[in-house]
Amino acid sequence: MKEHDATNLPRRWSENLMGFLFPSETDKWLGILRIGLGLQVAVYALFLRSDWHYLFASTGKGLVSRKLGEAITSFDSPLIPKLGWLITLGGYAHIGEDSVLSIAWACLLCMGLLLLLGLFSRPAAITAWFLHLCAAESGGLFAYGADNFMTTGLFYLMLSPLPDRYSLDHWLLKVELRDPQLLGFWRRVLQVHMCFVYLIGGLAKCLGNGWWDGSNLWRSLTRPPFNLVSPDILVRFKYALPILGISICLIELGYPFFIWIKKTRLFWLVCILAIHGVIGLAMGMYLFALVMIVLNVAAFGVGSAGPFLRYRSENDEIRMSNVEGMIK
Amino acid sequence: MLSKRVYVAWFVVHFCLITAVCFAGIFSLVAEGTTMLPSALQKRARKAELIAALVLGKEAAASSPVRQGIATYLHAAGIQAGYTFFAPNIPGYHRLTFELYYEDGRVEYASAHVMGRGAALRLDSLLDRLADQRYEPIREVVVKMLAFSVWRERPDVKKIRATFGAVSQPDISDFENGKDESFQLMFSYDFSLHEEEQ
Repeated sequence: MKEHDATNLPRRWSENLMGFLFPSETDKWLGILRIGLGLQVAVYALFLRSDWHYLFASTGKGLVSRKLGEAITSFDSPLIPKLGWLITLGGYAHIGEDSVLSIAWACLLCMGLLLLLGLFSRPAAITAWFLHLCAAESGGLFAYGADNFMTTGLFYLMLSPLPDRYSLDHWLLKVELRDPQLLGFWRRVLQVHMCFVYLIGGLAKCLGNGWWDGSNLWRSLTRPPFNLVSPDILVRFKYALPILGISICLIELGYPFFIWIKKTRLFWLVCILAIHGVIGLAMGMYLFALVMIVLNVAAFGVGSAGPFLRYRSENDEIRMSNVEGMIK
Repeated sequence: MLSKRVYVAWFVVHFCLITAVCFAGIFSLVAEGTTMLPSALQKRARKAELIAALVLGKEAAASSPVRQGIATYLHAAGIQAGYTFFAPNIPGYHRLTFELYYEDGRVEYASAHVMGRGAALRLDSLLDRLADQRYEPIREVVVKMLAFSVWRERPDVKKIRATFGAVSQPDISDFENGKDESFQLMFSYDFSLHEEEQ
């Protein structure tokens, strides 16, 4: 009997893994991811509208030469997409650098709007990912966390089984919806990724003493250009800062565990969304806050069936069938 | 649907890479002694960081297709950097000031600027990078470009002195006692712009 169990063990593990990676899902989460990232791309383009040429112009025209950023990126790998590629292509068609930059900006904004509407969802997702990646890599010296999360979000979006039922593609072009297990797989990828983000973020914060005594929270909120709240107001809450600092560490570190449990999921999700909401409003990191909120809501915000929940409901079904059997 | 095995294989490789990138970041923080862990762990953390770098192909030659392939994939997926934002501690910020010397003897002060808030955050990010030892080789070139961007708006400036330093913020008790932030000079450069123009 034991031998039989031992031979079945790898198969059971494999089945459990497949069950975890390919749960049946609706496309609600994908609709949220598409609309959220569409909004994000549009806001990103509009935020950089006045500085777009200044940030990405070549030597002698902009703030720091785009070519310097591209050279640093090329050191990692020459295969990483850059705006320079588009400018070279434009050169063959006798289109100047300024015009190519303007076209790239306009295309990015259009892709954001198309994603918002869900029209040509997959081509729009691929183009938005490519153009944003080009801009993020060419302006690598200026990049910050929001860019990485945008790239990751768009990367997952373009690989996900688009379109979703809320898109115009589905309504107008009657494009068929995809396999629920494939939808489940890509949602799992996003969910596991978010767990990595907070596990590492929480772990790194726990290793700094400034998060335990509240001084890091004070520094982050009083440091230009994040100092939107007056230090005089913060001083009034000085006794709350250590509690808030520790809470942030614990919420981030606990996220990969408690977000899967049905009873704690809503609480953890609300706490994380609140943290990002405050980061956006009190520190002016609107793009960062928006992308994190979108990714979290898509990953865990709607009709999510976590593995523990599935396990419990399966057990409940077995229990119910046993009870029915006993009654009969 | 593609074979589930293909998806599973991709999932495993993808998250192995993310794990390597993330832990390389954590080990780097420990190795640099910026965490509150005992300094005895620094050597081991450095070794662990090297192992993570090995997984990411960073120990291979710059022209290695494996190294370039992994790097391209990491950048394409936006996973080339770990998630150690605002951690383990938040250092002071950095300031770059330009002293502008005009031909008529006037002296003015200016800083590099952008128009929108979105770009202002990025400029701040650039200044923090300049302070990083890893960016030392390109520091002068970047500062020169920033100085040039200021000079383009004021072509009658003869010379620019760029001073870059770290600003330490007062902690709460110091702030309550009226203490202000302090500036510590890290480096400065002089640029004679008429020579540059030629």
